Amino acid sequence: MAQPAGLLFSKDHEWVKLDGDVATVGITDYAQTSLGDIVYVELPRIGATLQQFGNIGVVESVKAVSDILTPVGGEVVETNDAIDADPSLVNRAPFDEGWLFKVKLADHGETGNLMTGDAYDSLIAESA
Amino acid sequence: MLRRTALFDIHKALGGRIVPFGGFEMPVQYTSGILAEHDAVRKRAGLFDLSHMAQFELRGDDVGAWADVLTVNHVSTMKPFQARYNIFTNAQGGAHDDVIFYRLPDRWLLIVNASNAAKMWGHLQTQAHGDVLLTNRHGDDALIAIQGPQSVSMLAPFVTGDIAAMKYYTCLETTVGGVRGVIGRTGYTGEDGFELFVPGEAAPGIWEALIHANRGAGLIPCGLGARDVLRLEAGMPLYGHELDETITPLQAGLGWAVKLTKPDFVGKAALAAQAAAGDFPRIVGLRLDGRVPARAGYRVLRDGAPVGEIRSGSIAPSAGNASIATALVDAASATVGTRLGVEVRGTEHDATVVNLPFYQRG
Repeated sequence: MAQPAGLLFSKDHEWVKLDGDVATVGITDYAQTSLGDIVYVELPRIGATLQQFGNIGVVESVKAVSDILTPVGGEVVETNDAIDADPSLVNRAPFDEGWLFKVKLADHGETGNLMTGDAYDSLIAESA
Repeated sequence: MLRRTALFDIHKALGGRIVPFGGFEMPVQYTSGILAEHDAVRKRAGLFDLSHMAQFELRGDDVGAWADVLTVNHVSTMKPFQARYNIFTNAQGGAHDDVIFYRLPDRWLLIVNASNAAKMWGHLQTQAHGDVLLTNRHGDDALIAIQGPQSVSMLAPFVTGDIAAMKYYTCLETTVGGVRGVIGRTGYTGEDGFELFVPGEAAPGIWEALIHANRGAGLIPCGLGARDVLRLEAGMPLYGHELDETITPLQAGLGWAVKLTKPDFVGKAALAAQAAAGDFPRIVGLRLDGRVPARAGYRVLRDGAPVGEIRSGSIAPSAGNASIATALVDAASATVGTRLGVEVRGTEHDATVVNLPFYQRG
């Protein structure tokens, strides 16, 4: 299963899309499938400062609570209001309308701790 | 060592997500997901494998009188082809288990929770006396439930006898898919439906035939995840959550099943005293203002002070997708309309005590 092009991935099943200094963050298709029907997402406040791989929110399915470990550090500049009203967007479009939040990167070097889509594919193939 | 039901291979083939539950490997959901499965049961019908639940067979002239002493509800007054909800109690009035008795002309079926199967089998054996013969059919016979408004029309072609004429909480001994079995018009979803007790070796054929014939009408396999949301919306207790060895039937809101007029039964004195005092903590329904799920174990607050804890919680598709829960709270905080708080990850979320159930079929 190929991942969308141009994204970076964490071993915690989050994706990052870079646009200059700003990174958009979401959870992967593999993550949303594993969680099942998502009914609630708790995101950091705009303006909050995040540490890379810090526990900064939760995604909840009907049966489970799952932590969001942010794949990059920095300042939160935007959160996805649409998923407040309709959390199932994360199930339906995890890489598009179901994005979670945007971060102004503190340190570009941190992206070196992330992996490519191919490497992420290998990771989930091993855990299958 | 986890056991498997007769339908395990079917669950795997259907993409069921298998989890350990009550000592068995059971599907918590299939590929369509918990919410789609919930929707099928409310609008059409769903098919459940409940073979992990323990089935005990009771025979003998003394079964009724014997069970009357061990439980809160009447057993000996049951007539053939009646089913009745009941609770086995301890001396303090707490619950060993909540169960259903099915009376047949020559025997009784007793269905107990999977999580309590070993405890209950031990309990029954130590209590057995007189003309009571116990047989443990756990894992040998299968239990398939079909639940939802279309259950009658979907099931009728496979059953000998007029199932449409069956009343709620009655049973029938008949053939299902050509095999001898027992059908109860019972369930745990808040919808019309039936539970089929059939030999394990016949279960896969019956399951496949029901799905094959009714796929076009919207019958889908449903897992334990959907079942838990359905029962919570319908205000039905789950052992270990709304009821346990320390939570009495009176506290669980099951006073209707407690017959203090019976001559004697285990826990009667404690329950009578509790009923007379009236100031006991009890299970209430909560509806949160927001959408955050309230999970079992979360603290319940009133004016900032702890007054109880969440026992079950879910998003309720049949109650406007509200966040609903049951909570065990002090008597003073149990009145409908009382404003309470639920502590979720250190933040208090507003909630209101509401009447149970959260959902009632039209």
